[in-house]
Amino acid sequence: MQAPAEGTLRTIATFVATLGAGVATYIAIAEADGGAPACFAGGGGCETVAASSHSELAGIGVAVIGIGGYLLLLGAALLRGDAGRLAGFGLALVGFGFSVYLTYLELFVIDAICQWCVASAALMTVLFTVNALRMVRYVGAEP
Amino acid sequence: MSTGGVDQERRQRLIKLASATAFLAIVVIAVLIVVSQSGSDGGDASSVEGAAEIRKDLSGIPQRGLVLGDPGAKVKLIEFGDLQCPVCKGYAEEILPEVIGSKVRNGEARLEFRNFTIINEESIDAAAAAIAAGEQGRGWDFIELFYKNQGIEASGYVTDEFLTAIAEGAGVEDIERWNASRQSGRTLAKVEAETSEAGDLGLSGTPSFVVEGPLVDGGKRVLGTPGSAGELEDAIEGAG
Repeated sequence: MQAPAEGTLRTIATFVATLGAGVATYIAIAEADGGAPACFAGGGGCETVAASSHSELAGIGVAVIGIGGYLLLLGAALLRGDAGRLAGFGLALVGFGFSVYLTYLELFVIDAICQWCVASAALMTVLFTVNALRMVRYVGAEP
Repeated sequence: MSTGGVDQERRQRLIKLASATAFLAIVVIAVLIVVSQSGSDGGDASSVEGAAEIRKDLSGIPQRGLVLGDPGAKVKLIEFGDLQCPVCKGYAEEILPEVIGSKVRNGEARLEFRNFTIINEESIDAAAAAIAAGEQGRGWDFIELFYKNQGIEASGYVTDEFLTAIAEGAGVEDIERWNASRQSGRTLAKVEAETSEAGDLGLSGTPSFVVEGPLVDGGKRVLGTPGSAGELEDAIEGAG
């Protein structure tokens, strides 16, 4: 199967990173005053996750770190050539790996699922797939 | 031909660079996980904090068992909670102090804690320890001090050592009696009965609140998990 054109991959990465930054921003704003994002399915999962000590990393909200990560991924998607390919791959791998860890915490430690965190993990998975494909297929090629 | 070789060589070099990037990324993930774990506070038996502050906050309010406030108050606000639950900790620190200050301290309502042990076996140990502390008039000191020093949910921090440190900090005087009581079948049966009651009421998470009073239809109203102290205060006013 032929890989999509690099331009298509970059467009997808741009769109998904922007969406991810939006999701992370919503979570960060909702948690800013000690609250939690609204979970559409109810059940208090979002409140439980937001109140968990795991919602912060060295005193910084995980959602705030997520905003930074998505913006860097957006920058990598907009950057042409090997620098963009390598940066996108490395950043997406960090984001994906950390998302896997956070999902593990939700399932087995906090014992609650926040739909917004799941959405972010899904977006990060797409970003990792797209950036890995871009790197493997196009690294070394002319921009 | 030679250009193709140069391109191939360049691509190989970049693939190596990508491999190094992947390795670096994995190191960054490991560092993030380590920072995440080390940044977790609480659950440390050797550094129980906040006992004096809690004693001051609760001073002058009668306690009997896990009931805080005037036993004759016509309205009863019941909290179904799990001591390991981080949302319950949030309530204990941010919402309930206002309700205690405005409705419990003046005798308008009494606040009762009932155990709804939904997390794991350690929640049952914690619940039994709270009931045993209540038998010595220190139930609410125990609950609040536990929340203040709560560790990571289901991480194994609820040990005998931790519970003893909380009981001592809460002012439980006879630790031997407290120990015997918290391990007794009677206390464990009480924990089980309270959790069953929460299930019978249709409660699905912690903390959940129920208000009882003369103006409540059927004498009892399930409030669920109100988002503010104001909602709990309104419910108390509407019940009595």
